[in-house]
Amino acid sequence: MNISVHKMLRSPLFLVVAAVLLWFSAAFLVWPNLRLLGEVFMPNGEPTFRAFERLGSSRRAMDSLRNSFLLAIVLSVTVNLVGVFIVLVTRYFAIKGARVLYLGYATTLIYGGIVQVAGYKIIYGEHGFVTNLLAGAFPDMDRTWFTGMAAVVFVMTVAGTGNHLLFMTNALARVDFQTVEAAKMMGASTWRVLLTIVLPTIRPMLYAITILTFLGGLGALAAPQVLGGTSFQTITPMILTFANSPSSRDLAATLALVLGVSTMVLLAILNRMEKGGTYFAVSKVPTAMKKQKIANRWANAAVHAAAYLLLAVYLVPPLLIVLFSFTSASAISTGTLAWESFTLKNYALVFSDYEAFWPFLVSLGYGAFASITVVAGMLFVARLLQKYRNRVTAFIEFVLHIPWVLPSTLIALGLIIAYDHASWIMGNVVLTGTVALLGITYVILKIPFTLRMLKAAFTGVPDQLEEAAAILGAGPLTTFRLVLLPVVAPTAAAIAALNFNSLLDDYDTAVFVAHPLYQPLGIVIKNATGEDTLNDATALTFVYTVLLMLITATTMWLVYGRPSAGRRRKPKAAEPAGTAVEPVTTRN
Amino acid sequence: MNFPPFAKHRIFAAASALIAGSILLTACAPGAGESAAKADGKESLVVYSNSVSDGRGAWLTAEAAHAGFDLQLVDLGGGEVMNRLSAEKNNPVADVTFGMNNVYFEKLKAQDVLEPYTPAWSGEVDAAMGDQDGKTFWPIVREPIMLVYNQAAFASADAAPQDWTDLWTKDQFKGRYEVPSASTGATTQMVYAGILSRYADPNGELGVSQQGWDQMAAYFKNGSTAVKGEDLYARMKAGKVDAGQMWLAGKNSREAEYGIKSEAVRPKIGVPYSVQHVAMVKGTKKAKTAQKFIDWFGSAKVQAAWSNKFFTAPTNKEALADANQQAITQTNAFTAQDIDWALVAENMDAWVEKIELDYRK
Repeated sequence: MNISVHKMLRSPLFLVVAAVLLWFSAAFLVWPNLRLLGEVFMPNGEPTFRAFERLGSSRRAMDSLRNSFLLAIVLSVTVNLVGVFIVLVTRYFAIKGARVLYLGYATTLIYGGIVQVAGYKIIYGEHGFVTNLLAGAFPDMDRTWFTGMAAVVFVMTVAGTGNHLLFMTNALARVDFQTVEAAKMMGASTWRVLLTIVLPTIRPMLYAITILTFLGGLGALAAPQVLGGTSFQTITPMILTFANSPSSRDLAATLALVLGVSTMVLLAILNRMEKGGTYFAVSKVPTAMKKQKIANRWANAAVHAAAYLLLAVYLVPPLLIVLFSFTSASAISTGTLAWESFTLKNYALVFSDYEAFWPFLVSLGYGAFASITVVAGMLFVARLLQKYRNRVTAFIEFVLHIPWVLPSTLIALGLIIAYDHASWIMGNVVLTGTVALLGITYVILKIPFTLRMLKAAFTGVPDQLEEAAAILGAGPLTTFRLVLLPVVAPTAAAIAALNFNSLLDDYDTAVFVAHPLYQPLGIVIKNATGEDTLNDATALTFVYTVLLMLITATTMWLVYGRPSAGRRRKPKAAEPAGTAVEPVTTRN
Repeated sequence: MNFPPFAKHRIFAAASALIAGSILLTACAPGAGESAAKADGKESLVVYSNSVSDGRGAWLTAEAAHAGFDLQLVDLGGGEVMNRLSAEKNNPVADVTFGMNNVYFEKLKAQDVLEPYTPAWSGEVDAAMGDQDGKTFWPIVREPIMLVYNQAAFASADAAPQDWTDLWTKDQFKGRYEVPSASTGATTQMVYAGILSRYADPNGELGVSQQGWDQMAAYFKNGSTAVKGEDLYARMKAGKVDAGQMWLAGKNSREAEYGIKSEAVRPKIGVPYSVQHVAMVKGTKKAKTAQKFIDWFGSAKVQAAWSNKFFTAPTNKEALADANQQAITQTNAFTAQDIDWALVAENMDAWVEKIELDYRK
């Protein structure tokens, strides 16, 4: 669907959105980062390219860079395989206890970072349960087997499937069930139906998730640091070190640009593939999806077994984290649970400060503001970009992805450099030292993710819906509100929840731009658990992770859960089956 | 309109709560640079520090309030305090900063971020510990950065390493000591300074002779890299390593946590002392209050109380009598290594870069 620039300019909705978008992009995405890159690459007015030479001659930098790419590529395959599998067993195939499975798999959505990896280490590490079992069977085995690339890939694969669970589930609900039935009547096997009808429908979402997975692999931090050993370190720790050292920022920016450009290349390729596809398997007549039984008995048994084995893999680490958060640092380091090591001391320490709740409130406030603002804004932008495809919109789309190219530390620095003085582009308002700056930074950081996922969601909306609304006399805003918005609302809500959760423990940007009176949780956590604290803070890290789990689980529950009475479940005719996507805990 | 029910109610509810919240936030937030004068006429001071975690901040805020100061502490890591101060130098948010060591303060001074001020207690401290040729930052607390080893791993003190250099030159220690996994920590950078400044050479690369760089290479080559999320003392207890870097207060608390005894090496050349300083930020609009606060904070009375509460050795000589004697004894048990801090500060970023690119495993 290529619409000329000329035609595009005739839409009033477009003009308003475009004006806001252009100012925002120029003021927040282009100008600050240009200023920053200018300072980084031309510290004395002369361009310097020593970064390439320095990095090229460093064996460690090159190895780390290679590992990051390797990890990104491997994860793009493994996460998609596992992710599609868990979506199918919870949403497509008739598997016993699918709801329990879903909740178990969803645990990966509510926690992350170093403690998540530690949770796996407690099970598979040197003194772990699984290692002890294996050592019983093979006494000669190497107890430190759970290190290196395989361990990193394993943990990051399991941790990376959350996007599938949230977004692919929504996409899957749009599959035309009648086509599935027709195919089966014509004798197509379960496997064939899956490959030729189901997968093509969810392809736009698959592309979008692949980009996220690729980015996650490139930006891997905690898993390689904890499990990689000396043989499998990635580039992100080095980028962060250099980004915080003024004279080495050109190295950080160069490395980040290398990663960023490759992400953009992948994005362009997938955009092209997405554009070329047709997604007419999307249902236009609402027929509720019925779960498919796997005909072959052995296959059915195998899928059940695999699903429950995976459940154990997903579920045990978070349970152990909760348990160990009540123990001491020495108990955590040896992975042993004993009655006498249980204590409430860690929790008492976190809550003893009478101001302890303030950072929670600040983080909740910023998280809610940023996640809702960015989703609301990007709803319009994503539709615009998806509907009008020409060079101008392609360029705007590229600009909106800039926050994926640079590490958040550098984006925060760019904003400080650009707006620590009155500047006409900002209406002469100085942004540094204000409460607004952190909120703005969070909105900026969440744009690419939000845009990419919403665009994929809009791709599944058939044009006929809009045309029908227009024929009935609805203006563009009405059409947007009454026709388009309901279709993408589940995805939008999922994005908002994920944005919110991911901002809760942010440190890298808050450390630069947070207002002294409004310091978010991430800063408190980092200071309480940093390496230079008086006491070994391993146990406190666990406590904060559990507290974050509680908040994120609550967010997810607010958005998805709460089976409310009187919910209208009857989809109306004007709406594709996609809108009838039920929240996670719907009683089937 | 057939909105999925969950989306409609909750999004609207959340949005309205949020808008109310943000109005509230903006309404009670002091604007940039404005003096947040309170009803009782007290000016509030914004203080950036890397030394207010572990309950120190809460104690300081309460004590300062008694003395008539309204503090807003910003608790960040050492490197972050420095980066933030230098990023904000055109329009500073902070009024006072304290807690960082010489390296960081020398860097800030070089960037013209600090305002010279001579505190009332300047005569009670050894000014040579602080700003050598100016009056921008003043010492408050000193702490040795040590090489510690697990007592159980060595038959006697003589069998243990006697200096950092033993670790990579003597075969029995190779592979048995921990090297840092990142170069960003303040303690880690002090260790780098302690090793590299022994080989200071104006003609060498980045002010260090080739011999010095060879030592650094050997340090990393023969070390066991620290693992994120595993404390040095956890690794010593598990027998994975026998020695590593630690600072004084950290040693005591970890021995208790892990139930092992450790001992600090006392090299002939001495150990680097991390001296914490306090300074006023250039461009503060509350210079008078900031100066009063610095006068109060570094005074013998406050420093002695701080010492008793948080196991530190104050630099204020008048505070020594009332301070924590054990902390002072343990701090004074070491010789201070003679280190050219200006050289270190000038080159530390480049050293870190070189180490990260060329030497770390």
